[in-house]
Amino acid sequence: MATIRGCNLPEDVYYLLEKHVWAKPIEGGLVRVGMTSVAGKLAGGKLAAITVKAKNIGQEVKQGKSLATVESSKFVGPVPAPVTGVLVRANDKLAANPNLAISDPYGEGWIAEVKPSAWDAEAGALVTGAAGVAAYQAKLEAEGVSCG
Amino acid sequence: MADDSVLIIMTSGPDTPRRCATPFFFASLAAAMEYEVNMFFTIDGTLLLKKGLAETVYPKAGGKPVSAFIQDALDAGVNFLACTASTELHDLTPEDLIDGVKMVGGATMWQLAEDAKTVLTF
Repeated sequence: MATIRGCNLPEDVYYLLEKHVWAKPIEGGLVRVGMTSVAGKLAGGKLAAITVKAKNIGQEVKQGKSLATVESSKFVGPVPAPVTGVLVRANDKLAANPNLAISDPYGEGWIAEVKPSAWDAEAGALVTGAAGVAAYQAKLEAEGVSCG
Repeated sequence: MADDSVLIIMTSGPDTPRRCATPFFFASLAAAMEYEVNMFFTIDGTLLLKKGLAETVYPKAGGKPVSAFIQDALDAGVNFLACTASTELHDLTPEDLIDGVKMVGGATMWQLAEDAKTVLTF
């Protein structure tokens, strides 16, 4: 687990840097997705809601398109899908406590699970491991963003 | 298939500041949900589009001015349409309005309403 500029950035997930979201293959050929600690910081640090559009369950959401929405008192915006895939389920725990996505963004605060449509092709657009964290660090430094 | 479109009709204006944040917030939210979002400004809503005016309207004391909510909505990709007749009501010309606003007649509102999945009025 790496901490970069105050941001918790683990090496074992795949990041779509431009959108501050992560993906991680799990059992059953599924990919779990969520927002990074940086996204939580940019959203204002205290969330009012994270909502996955019910109509999208069972539908394919394209990479970069809105998978869910984040609301805080200061911010409203999409959680873009890190990879294209059929939306299998949303994390029910977020309805009661959206701030799990802030306090435990890579664990209990995951946002959705998808069945990827083209993981091998799209994973190239994602970064992971030590190199991925280094790339994220470079982006944060270039943009002057920190989580402190 | 194109994403669903929604229409928000904005009639509230600077006389009712507390009614002037949520419509823009809902518009930004709908855009984040991948809806095509149109906001149609008429009656006093059009006044909020007058250059410089929304900077002076605060839905909550100490909070953000309406102009910040407007900018968030524009940044999210919300389409702003102003009713031509309502600009005449307030003696405004198209040049008096902020950039990014399209002037349309009332018939456009009916067409947008017919095409929209949902219509909200504030």
